[in-house]
Amino acid sequence: MSVTLKINGQTHTVDADEDTPLLWVLRDHLGMTGTKYGCGIAQCGACTVHLDGAAARSCQIPVSALAGAEVTTIEGLSQNSDHPLQKVWVENNVPQCGYCQTGMIMAASALLKQVPHPTDAEIDMAVDNICRCGTYPRVRAAIHQAAEKLSS
Amino acid sequence: MGKLESVSRRSFLISTTVVGGGFAIGLQWTPSQAAGETAKDEPWAKAAAGSEFTPWISIAPDSTVTVRCAMPEIGNGVFTQSAMTVAEELHVDWSKIKVEYAPPLRNFLEKSVYTEAGGMMGYFSGRSTTAERIQLGLQLGAGARERLKAAAAAQWKVPVAEITTANSILTHTASGRTLKYGEVAAKAATVKLDKEPTPKPRSEWTLLGKATPSKLQNPAVVNGTAVYGMDIRLPGMVYAALRQAPAQGGSIKSLDASIARKMPGVLAVVTVDPKESAGFSDPKLQAPFGLEMCTAQNAVAVIATHYWQARKALDAVRIEWDDGAGAQWKTTETMNEAARALLDSKDLKVEKTEGDISSIDKQDKIIEGFYHTPYCDQAPMEPLNGTALVTPDSVEVWHPSQHSQQAFMVAAHETGLSPEKVVFHQTYVGGGFGRRVFGDDVRMVVAIARKYPGKPVHVIWSREESMRQGRYRAIVATNLRTGLDKTGYPVAVHGKYAIGSVGGTAGFHDTPYAFNKNFKVEGTKVPFNILSGAYRGPGYNSHAFITETFVDECAHAAGIDPLTYRLKLLEGYSDLGWVMCLKEAASKAGWGKSLPKGMGMGIAISNWAGNGKPQAGTTVATVATVEVSKAGKLKIHQLDVAFDTGGFLNRDAVVTEMVGGSIFGLNMALNENLTVRNGRVVEGNYDEYPMLRMGDTPTKINIHFGGLSGHERFCEPGEPPAGVAGPAVGNAIFAATGKRIRSMPFRLHDISWT
Ligand code: FES
Ligand code: FES
Repeated sequence: MSVTLKINGQTHTVDADEDTPLLWVLRDHLGMTGTKYGCGIAQCGACTVHLDGAAARSCQIPVSALAGAEVTTIEGLSQNSDHPLQKVWVENNVPQCGYCQTGMIMAASALLKQVPHPTDAEIDMAVDNICRCGTYPRVRAAIHQAAEKLSS
Repeated sequence: MGKLESVSRRSFLISTTVVGGGFAIGLQWTPSQAAGETAKDEPWAKAAAGSEFTPWISIAPDSTVTVRCAMPEIGNGVFTQSAMTVAEELHVDWSKIKVEYAPPLRNFLEKSVYTEAGGMMGYFSGRSTTAERIQLGLQLGAGARERLKAAAAAQWKVPVAEITTANSILTHTASGRTLKYGEVAAKAATVKLDKEPTPKPRSEWTLLGKATPSKLQNPAVVNGTAVYGMDIRLPGMVYAALRQAPAQGGSIKSLDASIARKMPGVLAVVTVDPKESAGFSDPKLQAPFGLEMCTAQNAVAVIATHYWQARKALDAVRIEWDDGAGAQWKTTETMNEAARALLDSKDLKVEKTEGDISSIDKQDKIIEGFYHTPYCDQAPMEPLNGTALVTPDSVEVWHPSQHSQQAFMVAAHETGLSPEKVVFHQTYVGGGFGRRVFGDDVRMVVAIARKYPGKPVHVIWSREESMRQGRYRAIVATNLRTGLDKTGYPVAVHGKYAIGSVGGTAGFHDTPYAFNKNFKVEGTKVPFNILSGAYRGPGYNSHAFITETFVDECAHAAGIDPLTYRLKLLEGYSDLGWVMCLKEAASKAGWGKSLPKGMGMGIAISNWAGNGKPQAGTTVATVATVEVSKAGKLKIHQLDVAFDTGGFLNRDAVVTEMVGGSIFGLNMALNENLTVRNGRVVEGNYDEYPMLRMGDTPTKINIHFGGLSGHERFCEPGEPPAGVAGPAVGNAIFAATGKRIRSMPFRLHDISWT
């Protein structure tokens, strides 16, 4: 079927089977590979995007359910890779292999929109993505630091 | 695809000239660009580089320095380390340095240019800080710098000695003239020096050991433009989903793809048969890690226009499997029992014997323990995948390998083509931990692509397929036995093990503890159908746990503090790093302080890669501070980690690996467990194979530098911490509850107390 999607402020029309998860539409139909596949069952968060501003795991959303929704992916998070989270991430050398990191950043940016100064517990709840490399302590510290930057 | 194909030939040429072939970092690639860059042409572009000083280093007219790296960047920072080492002597503007992968084809054609320093291991994981590699990097930097100075001197007609270099600029102070590196690079690259310069001594280093740059690829990681194996997009590319025989070693009994073939987007349904691997064109050819660990598995793959179509159609293929010999392994318990039973066998192979162990039975206090570790999957976040384009006389591969030289040779072996016909492009790697070393994955990719020639085929293992078709950390069953003398210390130790089947006993046979003078280690392999391989700290990840739990049991049986006990066992050992690490971790953790009931501290120490030699490998000591509720709920409050890598070259890189390795070790010990039913691995995804999340991770993982001996080596930090985190926690649980844990994963143990 042909679906019209609004992604990062642009309209795209794709021809995809209706049960195709948004994840694969992004990656394989549209070539937007910043959103990653890790598990396909809502466990890992590597595929996190924003759906109407809130974090969502794109492996769980069939493309047919997206009419009228606004999707933001890592490619559209900022104009010049200059979202405070992205900057702090680089400054603090957060990534190891990096594969899970775009999902982490998307989950964190949705959180900071809702809760400008999250507690550790709020971060743990909202950013429960899997990182096999074990970047968690730095991810948490970087979210706090970005929260400071955003509010100052 | 239309968009990709419209990348014009002209822009493709421009981009390859910038890239210089292969993957360069720091380029802000849009996903569609990822296509052209690597699709055609030589894997290295001599023409544009023009200013190639050696196969390792080029300087472009805009002063960009490109350093080639023979190791895959799997998250351990080898790119950044390679750049830092060269920069130490080349005095570059850090924002102008890039790293790209050294192409294996060029290595093959040009007499091992990339492996002569560092040998076969040249392409493997984190070997960027060995003495040979550091020397090479410094020499490259110094050689390029002196050539740039010579070229500038000739242009200005002044003595070379009057020229200084800093920040990618050559300066003649007396006349106030300057040149950028790029302005003389072309000439400099042709300069013949009478003698190669000698790099400065390490006491004069200003970057190495001092600077802590963020990884070079981080800007590309955080905006999603870093290209992993999964992100390869090529003109005309098709997707494949595969299913290998669920009981490893099994085969296809019957296949009905009639429904699948009619499904939307499906282009082909193909099978892989290990008997169809073509073999080397020349019998003298070899793969650095051999071919035994990377045989093909019987498999079915669906090839379709889009991945989701391939995946759905794969589920519609009706396959009847012959589970083969693996079917005999009805349950995990039958396998565990088989391993354990072998410990009583008379035919164990003696791995090591020192002194005399007969004194054990003469002691009053005999300590004996049976220890067990299960199958674990490396479970890197990027599932297995790869892309290959096979034609009758060529194969081109894009792959997230942990050993590009191995993968290159495996591609040649699978197709039967001469290696000269193989182009291998290394991508970024979303985690390795040993899973992508031997090349079974690249073989399957090429085997599938062979069945659909002429098109790039991007093969994706689902997470389930990735997890169930592993090369696992093997099952280990070990029995340790000692007798304690009147003072409470072991007179001798006898260890027996059964491993099913890949892996050794690092962390045990190489122990420096005093009992190694009367010591016997013997064991055997168990021929299970489940395939095993390398997993962060192979062998060691089981045996550090086993040894350090056993030593803790001995200490408690003797009524001696576990730290004091270990220090005593190390008395007289010539590598002081062990004692320094123990003392550092213990003092920083507040070892010995009184804790409320239900809390406890545990300590563990081991060494990875030293193979029993003093001043070798990396020693790590970890102290865990834990709390166990009466109901048996575990909370790890804190880890204090001290290590001896000798010295370090990038402090922050060492900290990240120590933290990451510790978390990996915690997850292994607490959570990881694969089970088997009828020869098939049961668990397929993270819901069944739990992973620590941010909220489960100790809030304090403190990495301390006071264990460093200052020895001249710079050993690796990635694998060593993974071995000791688990036993430190297990020993802490004992201190808190009196319950001894002798097998992984800990989550299966009842640690409640009253
Ligand atoms: S891929 Fe969507 S949560 Fe893992
Ligand atoms: S950085 Fe490798 S999985 Fe998170």
